[in-house]
Amino acid sequence: MGFLSEIKHYLRVYRRYLSTSASQAMSFRTSFVLLIIMDLLFTGSSYFKISFIYDHIEVIDHWVRHQLMFFVTFMLALNALNTTLLSTNFWMFSDDLKTGNLDYILLKPVSSIYIVFFRYIKPSGIPNIILTHSLLIYFGMQNNLGFIEWLMLPFLIVLSFTLYALIQFVISCSMFWLIEGLGINFLRLQMQELARWPDFIFSKYLRTVFMSAIPILLVGSGPVHFIFDRSYWYLIPLMLLLCFILYYLLHFIWNRGLTHYDSASS
Amino acid sequence: MIKADKLTKKFTTYKKEPGLSGAIKSFYQRDAIHKYAVKDFDLDIKSGEIIGLLGPNGAGKTTLMKMFTGIIVPSSGEIVVAGHVPSKREKAFRKKIALVMGQKSQLWWDIPALDSFLLLQKYYEVPDSKFNKKINEMGEMLGVTELFDVHVRKLSLGERMKLELMASLLHEPEVLFLDEPTIGLDLIAQENIRNFIKEYHEENNLTVILTSHYMQDVQALCKDLVLIAGGEKAFDGPLKSFEKVLGHKKSVYFTFKDAISLDDQFFKEKDVQVLKGGREIELKIDESDLRDLSSHIIQNYPVIDFHTEKIPIEKVMKSIMKNPEILNQ
Repeated sequence: MGFLSEIKHYLRVYRRYLSTSASQAMSFRTSFVLLIIMDLLFTGSSYFKISFIYDHIEVIDHWVRHQLMFFVTFMLALNALNTTLLSTNFWMFSDDLKTGNLDYILLKPVSSIYIVFFRYIKPSGIPNIILTHSLLIYFGMQNNLGFIEWLMLPFLIVLSFTLYALIQFVISCSMFWLIEGLGINFLRLQMQELARWPDFIFSKYLRTVFMSAIPILLVGSGPVHFIFDRSYWYLIPLMLLLCFILYYLLHFIWNRGLTHYDSASS
Repeated sequence: MIKADKLTKKFTTYKKEPGLSGAIKSFYQRDAIHKYAVKDFDLDIKSGEIIGLLGPNGAGKTTLMKMFTGIIVPSSGEIVVAGHVPSKREKAFRKKIALVMGQKSQLWWDIPALDSFLLLQKYYEVPDSKFNKKINEMGEMLGVTELFDVHVRKLSLGERMKLELMASLLHEPEVLFLDEPTIGLDLIAQENIRNFIKEYHEENNLTVILTSHYMQDVQALCKDLVLIAGGEKAFDGPLKSFEKVLGHKKSVYFTFKDAISLDDQFFKEKDVQVLKGGREIELKIDESDLRDLSSHIIQNYPVIDFHTEKIPIEKVMKSIMKNPEILNQ
């Protein structure tokens, strides 16, 4: 009962975040439209790159055009969710630490992790979420996905997004010690860039590191491998396990960070 | 309601010399500076009291407020606020307190204040009926009801401060921390804020800690006062005792046509400071001596202007630190 009422409380807060973010975004109409165009251009250019490569070769490793297109779309769908629901918060966190705005967040009777990483939503990203998820269905059909794969797909998207978010949250926690967030945020963006390619294009050593210690490649390659080839089933429990580990690691680092936090002077 | 015992906070900062060479040097070798912002601070405040926490810049007032609210963790010592240890940041504790900072805003900048209020309502789980009653009541008391729909960035500082106060009181906290709520406001806005706090306190009997640079804030709201300087408590007691020092001493400034000499016996016996190369002096005197001393100087020296000021709090603080016996005289 207590847990359920907590969930309801957090959902009510989130609904208000949606409302305040929409209200804020609509205050700057031209910027709102430009951000939509920018996201759509990014999605288009990502497809163009892959299409260009496949105009000159038949397969990359063992994946043909439709398979890689499905992978790229899966990652673009995750990227659209990430851009819309999370990315602004990573940039604002550094600002909160530098200006001392984190002070007010720490006073609210809601988890400070929740407020810091979820309070800014970018409504201009919603068209891109719709586009990328529609394209994911299209490329799923091109790859003749079966009933089970279609059934699993929403779960795999949620799992991948959770892992993706947790990796970024943990990385961002280092801002408590670094304060300036530019370096960390660019590191995070480089991680995203790595994740947009399938694991098999990396050397064995890098693949091992980025599939386990810093499991950024697992975000896209894990579920897509599983969808195309059931012998990769073990990647899904591995992702679940890593989510649990990262969740507890996040809380540990966050609490250490709060103890270290000195706030900014008045 | 609030109890602090030997509360201490030590900060570490790093020195950096100016310019490119300083930047390069500090990149590989940083000299740490350890500084006590608050040291061995004791405090005991009962429920329903309003206490003024007064001190010059950098005295440690804001650091204390941040420790009382759980924003920062003390280096040592103990605090209990409303039955909770603030640094544990329990949910029940966070619902019992509120903090207003004159130099920071909790309202979202690019949206109307009402949107921020609605978000706060969700954070604190305030029922709709109570929320509506509260914003209507406080909106009318502060005269800001028509500003609820205006973007916060378009408001004046005074208007924003009133809305900040409202935002902090929506969940009916038991303890309110006000960190320089009148800073930068004009005299009328300062008075409005003070009147609202006074009225709200009378109706709700919450515990209030107020920090301020302005003695007027403390005089209007508090019966008791805590003075802090250099992170240490300099005075803790009734405002009346402190006003003895403030009330009977004045600074008188005289401006002369030409620089004067202070070799005269008259000035030798006085607390006088030479300004502007001898063309101006500041004389610290008892209020009762003002008339006689002023007329003597005007008659015997080429005075072209003069004015009086109450001794600023920084100077009173210095006097108390030098001679704590002042308060017992």
